[in-house]
Amino acid sequence: MSAVPSTWAHSRILLRKDLVAEWRTKERLSPMVFFVLLVLLVFNFGFELGGAALWEIGPGVLWTSFVFASLFGLQRTFAAEGANDCLDGLLAAPVERGALYLAKMLGNVLFLLGVEVLTLPLFGLFFNLTPGLYLLPLFVVFLLGSASVASIGTLFAAMAGHSRLREFLLPLLVLPMLIPALISCVAATGVILEGGIPGRGTELWPADLTVHVAMLGLFAVVFTTLAWMLFDFVIEE
Amino acid sequence: MMSLPMSRILSIGVTLAMLVAVGAVFLYAPTEKQMGDVQRIFYFHVSAALSAATAYFLVFLGSVQYLRTRADRWDRFARVSAELGIAFSAFVLFSGPLWARPIWGVFWRWEPRLTSMLITFTIYVAYLMVRSYGEPGERTQRFAAVVGIVAFVNVPLVHYSINMWAADQQLHPPKVELDPAMLQTKLICYFTFACLFTLLLRLRLQQERQAARLEALSRLAPQ
Repeated sequence: MSAVPSTWAHSRILLRKDLVAEWRTKERLSPMVFFVLLVLLVFNFGFELGGAALWEIGPGVLWTSFVFASLFGLQRTFAAEGANDCLDGLLAAPVERGALYLAKMLGNVLFLLGVEVLTLPLFGLFFNLTPGLYLLPLFVVFLLGSASVASIGTLFAAMAGHSRLREFLLPLLVLPMLIPALISCVAATGVILEGGIPGRGTELWPADLTVHVAMLGLFAVVFTTLAWMLFDFVIEE
Repeated sequence: MMSLPMSRILSIGVTLAMLVAVGAVFLYAPTEKQMGDVQRIFYFHVSAALSAATAYFLVFLGSVQYLRTRADRWDRFARVSAELGIAFSAFVLFSGPLWARPIWGVFWRWEPRLTSMLITFTIYVAYLMVRSYGEPGERTQRFAAVVGIVAFVNVPLVHYSINMWAADQQLHPPKVELDPAMLQTKLICYFTFACLFTLLLRLRLQQERQAARLEALSRLAPQ
């Protein structure tokens, strides 16, 4: 009966541990933000961005940068637990495996959200995005997009350390599986950025947005639940 | 050893069925009015797509069963099914462009069904990579089963989202009334491909079982 609150309580403790460790070392957020900056620079030389092209390829540029940065962040999910056999310690502790998954997954969502929120101004600055309230729904897309990436990413990150491919395995698994979510992220971001076209109606939530956000929500919920159920099998030893 | 004659009977049966199917496709089925002879690719193309879909379902089945029972045979079953799924998908992805070139004017369009097939194909290639680059043993089998389940749940989402993404690109012929001879040819091809699939599955399973047995024996042998 008390299983649900105790899982949640354990997750919170584990999440707090990871956040404190990140706060002290800044091993994940800083390199990820810097990486997004670099990718934006590279894209700038790859495409003529800005002006009309921004609505066309801006969303793709933004999400490609986020997804690649997230792959680096996901690699680190369990890496820190490798030192001093911390993972064995966690598994020996009377904590459900599901709680461990939830903590790690929520941690990844927070890191990704942090990267997205910190780098959006850079994107706006480089590519002349008109600031405005019409950008607000972007945070809903960021939240659900991060949850989608983290849902399968956290599950597969737990596997990657055991493959001969090491850090190479994670992108191979995450990228193709993520495509449905990526399509929705790019489409939703496109709808939102179009609100910046001068003379467009300034509704806060364009009607076209709902279907993409619903699709993202579906992806995040389905794969978080599935990964939570399957995590026991990944981290059995 | 008991199963060898069965495989041989099945092999002969598949060879005969394939001859009948090729005959039906090229001699019996009438030429389609608008597309001409190139439409005949359709019979094998769709049959292979059905086999691939079956294979992906079997990967899912094998994966679930492996996690439940931890029996090696379910693991082999899932892996062999994935290989077949990839082989039949590759055939679909190869025959599609051959048909598309004269009909659409280009080999490749980012058309919903074609794109979904390609994405699904890459997901299962990744699945096989988990297997081939993992240390042989129970852990890799578990990981593979988890990926096999996640992959199958993803297939409808891939399909649905890509349909949404490229709705205006839908170029697959809509459902059409088939001439009776065409319908019969289609059914013969479905049947033939189902037999071919079963035969290949059987042969690969036998091979894998023998490899596992050999491995177990070599561990017993004095070094």
